[in-house]
Amino acid sequence: MTVTGEVGAWSARESGAPAVVAEGLTKVYGQGDTAVHALRGVDVSFATGAFTAIMGPSGSGKSTLMHCLAGLDTVSSGRVRIGDVELTGLGDKQLTLLRRERIGFIFQAFNLLPTLTAEQNILLPLEIAGRQADRVLFDRVVETVGLRDRLGHKPTELSGGQQQRVAVARALISKPQVIFADEPTGNLDSRSGAEVLSFLRSSVRELGQTIVMVTHDPVAASYADRVVFLRDGGLVSELERPTPQAVLDTLMKLEA
Amino acid sequence: MLRTTLAGLRAHRLRLLLTSLAIALGVGFIAGTFVLTDTIEAGFTQKFAAAGDRIDVAVFPDSGRRGEEEPSLPAAALEKVRGVDGLAEAQGLVRGTAALLGKDGKAAGDRPTSGISIPEGRLNRTVIAGGAAPRNGGEAVLDEGTAERHGFKVGDTIAVLDAKEVRHEFRLVGLVDLSLDQELVYTGAVGFTTGTAWSMTGAEGFHEIDALAAEGVGQEELRASVAAALGSGVTVKTGEAYAADMARANGADDDVITMGLLMFGLVAMFVAALVIYNTFNILVAQRTREMALLRCIGATRGQVFGSIVLESVVVGLLSSGLGLLLGYGLGAGALAVLSSLDVPLPAVTPSLAPRTIALGLVIGLAVTVGAALLPARSATRVAPIAALRTQVEERVFRTGAVRVVAAALFLVAGAGATVAALSMPVGQAALVVVMAGGSLVFFALLILGPVLVRPLSAFVGWVPRRLFGVPGRLATDNSRRNPKRSATTTVALTVGVTLMTLIAVLTGTLRVTYSAKLDEQFPVDYMVQPQDRGSELSRALAEDLRSRPELTSVVALRGAVAEVGGKGAEYEVGTFTASRDFRPSLESGSIDLLKPGTAVVANYVAEDLGVKVGDRVPVKTAEAGTVELTVVALFDPQRASLSGVTVPEAEFDRYFGQVGDSSIMVNARDGVAFDRARAAVDAAADPYPTAKVASSTEVRSEFDESLDMMLMIITGLLGLSVLISLLGIANTLSLSVHERTRESALLRALGLTRPQLRRMLSVEALILGLIGALVGVALGVVYAWAAARTMTTDVSFQVPVLQILAFVALSGLAGVVAAVLPARRAARASIVGSLASG
Repeated sequence: MTVTGEVGAWSARESGAPAVVAEGLTKVYGQGDTAVHALRGVDVSFATGAFTAIMGPSGSGKSTLMHCLAGLDTVSSGRVRIGDVELTGLGDKQLTLLRRERIGFIFQAFNLLPTLTAEQNILLPLEIAGRQADRVLFDRVVETVGLRDRLGHKPTELSGGQQQRVAVARALISKPQVIFADEPTGNLDSRSGAEVLSFLRSSVRELGQTIVMVTHDPVAASYADRVVFLRDGGLVSELERPTPQAVLDTLMKLEA
Repeated sequence: MLRTTLAGLRAHRLRLLLTSLAIALGVGFIAGTFVLTDTIEAGFTQKFAAAGDRIDVAVFPDSGRRGEEEPSLPAAALEKVRGVDGLAEAQGLVRGTAALLGKDGKAAGDRPTSGISIPEGRLNRTVIAGGAAPRNGGEAVLDEGTAERHGFKVGDTIAVLDAKEVRHEFRLVGLVDLSLDQELVYTGAVGFTTGTAWSMTGAEGFHEIDALAAEGVGQEELRASVAAALGSGVTVKTGEAYAADMARANGADDDVITMGLLMFGLVAMFVAALVIYNTFNILVAQRTREMALLRCIGATRGQVFGSIVLESVVVGLLSSGLGLLLGYGLGAGALAVLSSLDVPLPAVTPSLAPRTIALGLVIGLAVTVGAALLPARSATRVAPIAALRTQVEERVFRTGAVRVVAAALFLVAGAGATVAALSMPVGQAALVVVMAGGSLVFFALLILGPVLVRPLSAFVGWVPRRLFGVPGRLATDNSRRNPKRSATTTVALTVGVTLMTLIAVLTGTLRVTYSAKLDEQFPVDYMVQPQDRGSELSRALAEDLRSRPELTSVVALRGAVAEVGGKGAEYEVGTFTASRDFRPSLESGSIDLLKPGTAVVANYVAEDLGVKVGDRVPVKTAEAGTVELTVVALFDPQRASLSGVTVPEAEFDRYFGQVGDSSIMVNARDGVAFDRARAAVDAAADPYPTAKVASSTEVRSEFDESLDMMLMIITGLLGLSVLISLLGIANTLSLSVHERTRESALLRALGLTRPQLRRMLSVEALILGLIGALVGVALGVVYAWAAARTMTTDVSFQVPVLQILAFVALSGLAGVVAAVLPARRAARASIVGSLASG
């Protein structure tokens, strides 16, 4: 099996095929008496060109689910597919190449390399992959996130919101099949957070990007097209076209 | 606080070990030096004491006037000693020259062997290692070293030349151990009965008289009465004092070796101090939050300072202890190697003297704690609030004015001293000033290091940036990310590389300079000289050489010492047999100016006498009375191998008679193979046992070999400090890896493969290594040039490019090796775990 080659992430959005599929996903840390079941047989799929949020109380396994979906962590059993590539059973090298070619990441903090400028950070995934940047796309992305006059700055010279926008731009630039965002607004004030979430939503609407976002913030989740809820390592509920209130209500029910 | 510190140390055992190793290696080297030299000295002292026990009183002649023959005690002195009351027995020892002939019939070795008497009975101090002492005029013994070198065994017949170069044969009846007498070890010796020793060496009287006291007479009592009987002009010592004096003289030799080795030990400790300083600095930076937390819960600045110092005390003690063990092992190992190389060493078990233990602990502790003081101080500056910050701030380095001014002061002082030294007259003083200047410049670089790292890493990183893609570029950026840390890490390596380059360039320069001088002084293929430089060769030998068709331009040099200038100063007055090809280079004019009644004079002689070209100089000759010679030209003795005052050949014979040749220069005729020419020279020299043939290629290769040997030993000793600096690189990298855990995880998430991550760290280490090496090479080359300029005039400066490239390449490679473990750890880390960790 190969994971390299032509990756037409954005062209597949019309097909309606899911971008990411997980079947019977379990993840167990430790063994015997001390074993912790972080995921207990999760079946979920994420539609291409959609913005999906994963929610759940602390310890529900939402971050673990994202790590397993993104090939950052190995699964104990079950299968994960990104596009037409089966992740389970791939070696570290193949997983790395897969991430390089098909996945974009936005983390809560420490998204950027402090030695590189904003522009270099944005282009980093392409350079690692040895691909040429599409200048038209670059300009469009930079324009969208409003970073034109900040490109030459180092991360320490950027505000938290600007840093996350650089991370969004970086995730978009390689046209990945899916972007995984792990609490992307967790460290931001509400205004910067709203900005970043708008960029994420508009990239789904305008560019057809697929995004999977882990969050515990109902407002953040309301930017998504769909919210899936996790509790104790299992999928328990989901909402289409969520509002903050609806998300909050569902969470309250789960906590109860 | 103590418990916190110890718990911290326990938690980081591996890092503790790495850090300790740097100090342990340095302390180990120093301790090893002491173990080795102490053990050797103890062994010799034991032997000397044993030798001293055999005699009660020893008598030596006072050293005579300068230039006189070896002073001796007259034979009558022995009779006087024997007449003293309270004496049991007295013996005289004879010592002179008696050249042993090798199995090829030529005088053995580069120097004629000594001829000594082996006294009989209880006073024989010589240790017979095999066989027996000589009992009559037909028997002789050899020292073990000489016998082994020339392949003689007990029972063989050996041939020895007497003072008049007449050959005598002896039966070899025993081998003796002469390792206590450095002079005899150097020349080798043949031992005879006293009478034979006199007749063979031509010596008169005794070199030394030994005496035993009668029952009930003390050493000091006998010494006093012997001294009274002999009067002035002699030194009389008790056996005990004699042994102690010998041991002291030997100890002085050992001290030179000890000092030399300690120099390398100190360099290693200096490098270790840099490594420790850096390590503690990083530890403090890394534990900022820990420190801040301690401050939050009420620890004072003093307690934080104390905890770091305490940590360094523990590290210092542990590593010094480890170093002492290492030193004991090194010393014992060196002894084992030396004795397996047949170096004559007394058999004593190596021991750690209390002084060695104390010194090792003190040095190790002082260096470790001293290096940790500055980092400890910076730890006290951590504000309690830092505990609450989530992200470790990138430290931005700014070039401070103090730094620039301090560096400038050092640089100006160092460069000034160097330039001043270059205009000083050639000599040791100038060399010392150059070295002082070099040290100042080095300190300027040390201070300026953080400023230099940026441009240097850009320069060194130019190739990796292009060669290794993203990992290469990130590595270059990382290498200058913390300029202070990178600078200290690389400077540690610079120390070793600078000294190695210095030595390599100096030996290279010495080699070429010597070679050029050899061409001028030894402008011939072969040189025939008597084994004993003071003696002469028969003129018939030169005649024979001239008659051989394979050879050409045979020039014989001869000389005699005579008073020149009429003021009592003596110089060698000499001549050479003319040959068409022999054109010694003079400062003015040509050798054709030399006519009867004239002389060419070495510049130093002319200077001493205050004469110049055209002046007349009186020379007191042996056969023609005092003659007045006109100086027609001067020459530089380094460029022309002529006697200080050189006169025409026929005139020389008239002045001094038929003096033999002191050396003969011979060239192979064009087109004659080396083997054939050499065979012709050897054949001509064969009838003359003391005539030694040397070829320029042999002289050169001997010189080359000894230079190579020296270079190898010094480079090996400096290797230790390079090794320590590599520990520093490994330490710095592993701590950087630790600091950048999340960064590495991010890169991995973005698609950097494990090998790429490893490569990134290797390239970073490579860059650090290369920066250190480049600065070292630059400094080493410049100062080798300056040092060579102060050592001799007209140097042919030579940079052994290949060797230096090898140093640079090895430094880079070593950096990469140092990165292996940290890189592995970084690549193995789980992405998810690393992203989560703070």
